[in-house]
Amino acid sequence: MTKTSVPFFHRPKVVPFVFLTPFLIIFLVFRVWAVIQAVVLSFQKVQGVGSTEWTGVGNYQFLFNDPTFYKALFNTAYYTTGTLILLIIIPLTLAALLYSGLVKKAGVFRTVLFLPVLTSLVVVGVVFSLILSPGGLLNSWLGLVGIPAQRWLETADLAIPAMLIIATWRWTGLNMIYFTSGLANISRDLYDAAAIDGASGLQRFFYITVPLLRPIIIFVMTLTLIGGFQLFVEPFILWSGGASPGQGGLSIVVFLYRTAFTSFNLGYASTIGVVLALIIMVLSLVQLRLFGFFKKEA
Amino acid sequence: MFRTMTFPKKGVILTLLLIVMLLAMIACGGAAAPAQEAAAPSEPEAAVQEEAPAAEAEEVEEVAAEVQEIDLTFWTFVDAHADFFLKQAERFNAAHPEVVIKLEPTVIDYQDMHDKLLIALQSGTGAPDLVDIEIAKFGTFMRGDIQLHDLTPLIERSGKDLVIERMAPYQGGGQQYGVDYHLGALVMYYNKELLDQAGVDVDSIVTWDDYIEAGKKVKEETGAWMATIETTDKWSVSPLMQENGGGVYDKDGNLILDSPANAEALQLLSDMFHVHQILTVAPGGYHHSPEYYAMMNDGDKVASVWMPQWFMIRFKEFMPDLKGKMVVRPLPAFEEGGMISTMGGGTGTAITKQIDPEKLDAAMEFLEFAKLTREAQVLIWTDLGFDPYRLDVYDDTELNNPDEYFSNEPVMQTIKGMLDRLTPEYNGPRYPEAQQQIREKIAYGLFEENKPPADLLSTAQGEIEAMQ
Repeated sequence: MTKTSVPFFHRPKVVPFVFLTPFLIIFLVFRVWAVIQAVVLSFQKVQGVGSTEWTGVGNYQFLFNDPTFYKALFNTAYYTTGTLILLIIIPLTLAALLYSGLVKKAGVFRTVLFLPVLTSLVVVGVVFSLILSPGGLLNSWLGLVGIPAQRWLETADLAIPAMLIIATWRWTGLNMIYFTSGLANISRDLYDAAAIDGASGLQRFFYITVPLLRPIIIFVMTLTLIGGFQLFVEPFILWSGGASPGQGGLSIVVFLYRTAFTSFNLGYASTIGVVLALIIMVLSLVQLRLFGFFKKEA
Repeated sequence: MFRTMTFPKKGVILTLLLIVMLLAMIACGGAAAPAQEAAAPSEPEAAVQEEAPAAEAEEVEEVAAEVQEIDLTFWTFVDAHADFFLKQAERFNAAHPEVVIKLEPTVIDYQDMHDKLLIALQSGTGAPDLVDIEIAKFGTFMRGDIQLHDLTPLIERSGKDLVIERMAPYQGGGQQYGVDYHLGALVMYYNKELLDQAGVDVDSIVTWDDYIEAGKKVKEETGAWMATIETTDKWSVSPLMQENGGGVYDKDGNLILDSPANAEALQLLSDMFHVHQILTVAPGGYHHSPEYYAMMNDGDKVASVWMPQWFMIRFKEFMPDLKGKMVVRPLPAFEEGGMISTMGGGTGTAITKQIDPEKLDAAMEFLEFAKLTREAQVLIWTDLGFDPYRLDVYDDTELNNPDEYFSNEPVMQTIKGMLDRLTPEYNGPRYPEAQQQIREKIAYGLFEENKPPADLLSTAQGEIEAMQ
């Protein structure tokens, strides 16, 4: 075929863009333009329909001095730290255990542990509000080992622990899958060599498995960090509209939602959103740096 | 056949397919509620002729033959409200043969519905014609350019018979924007059987001091708590604040959270809980939890509870064992001869500005028919179980019937007796935020953390005043 007879949209250099156009349109409209709008809104004061005024950094200054924001930030940071600890250690241990061959029918356990990931978050919230109720399942189990019934959903101090229980139940399976795939990439020869040299099971775990899983651990930590700071559905469902006792479960995104939908202050809500995005970005970069993500492998 | 087509033809077909798919995706991703209604068959508007102006009155017979069909969309978050409105639409159509109202209600979850309404009003499209807005959310819609129609004419027509204070929470700038379902009078529900066991005469409790004495006696004789209180909702603190002349706003629209009246009310509650120890936290933290219903239903653990009138429905539905043992009485007063009730809760039905202007008159007439007429208010009691706010209705036979559950007393007459000693509740722009403060920090802080009322109230006042 000569060049002149190929229609414009069929040319090899053009065709890829033709196929990318649908995605690009959706991406530009719903992601890029929406984010730009949000940033612009964050510099405005909105007090209802038809009243928008430019306020420069006024919203940011107000946020800096807002005690409710700091309460939300503390709660969210507390929650994220909890998930970072619980959702790395437990899945990693379980993954290693199931992979080591010590457990028969490991595949069955992996599937069962993964099922919670597939459930709808709203359903999880409703069911767990029953499980965590004063006469609910969790308190019954605690009673069996002599621990008195806790008022999980009525006490400010227990709000975050309650949500951590739900998070652990829900995400352990997913992180386990990530770690399992990482484990599969470690050559058996390393373990055999270590065993010959007299290393015990635990020593093999800490000196071979964990270091070689570093990339996966960094990956899981980053996802957990981002997900933790975006906490919204659990407090929203557990306590109607996110009104937790003593504000113990107030997360940044619940605070954002309220500012938008209860106070109808879309400008300030956008400010919170922008600041949250910046916080997540900074923390992620710090975490990556700390774990040597940016260093070349020796 | 597709394979043998030359490329240009294939290209055109593929592109069209892609566009159709994209449109389908965008349409399906749009607001759920209007899409649901699109699925239901929609009548084409047969608005043949407008209502004849007075000048052409001699052609009345000709005009009456034309039937005007009006489609009205209605959003609510309570199934019972949707059913009520559908029934009223039927009755309206029967009473007004020249107009056929086709009501299309959609019931959406409480939080979701208000969020969607806000977005629809903000973006200028997608809002329903009629909508239920709960009292705690109403303030949000009173900001900026109000997107609801002024309903003041309705009140002017029916006003003299209404408990006019009930209209206050849905007013803004001197205009009426919503019409409520009920009065929401606060009452005390006593387990008379338990009180009798303790040797307490329920009618001897007139003031809060009497209540405290009775509570101590109940605790001594039967070991039961006098009442439960909420730490994660407002029903324990708000009513007393209001009864004492406080509340969130005053009638002039000032934020009065840190008023002495409120502080006094909270101090009383604090004393009852921490000092006299006649109150306990409701299991689950609030009075709508299954554990609370179970505890109250046992009949020997808690002697009373103060909640709005509509809590009667919960008693009958969730606490069946208390049938015949409960009585309804006014709240104890802060002082002899003082106020014995206030208002709590409520949902205002409003008409949005996105309604087709040609439908507005009919919609307003329908709304008045459905909620403000004498017959409508009787139905509010018989169908919805709510307390009406039209004074002349309380003489109706329906409202004089003895209630088996509540010891065969005519409960609505007890409420009638309270109507002239009932403090109103005022709304304002930051009412929704104030509710959050009360639920999350004031109620919780007062009972669980034993914080001083003045501190709790001044913090709340300060935070709300500082809001942008």
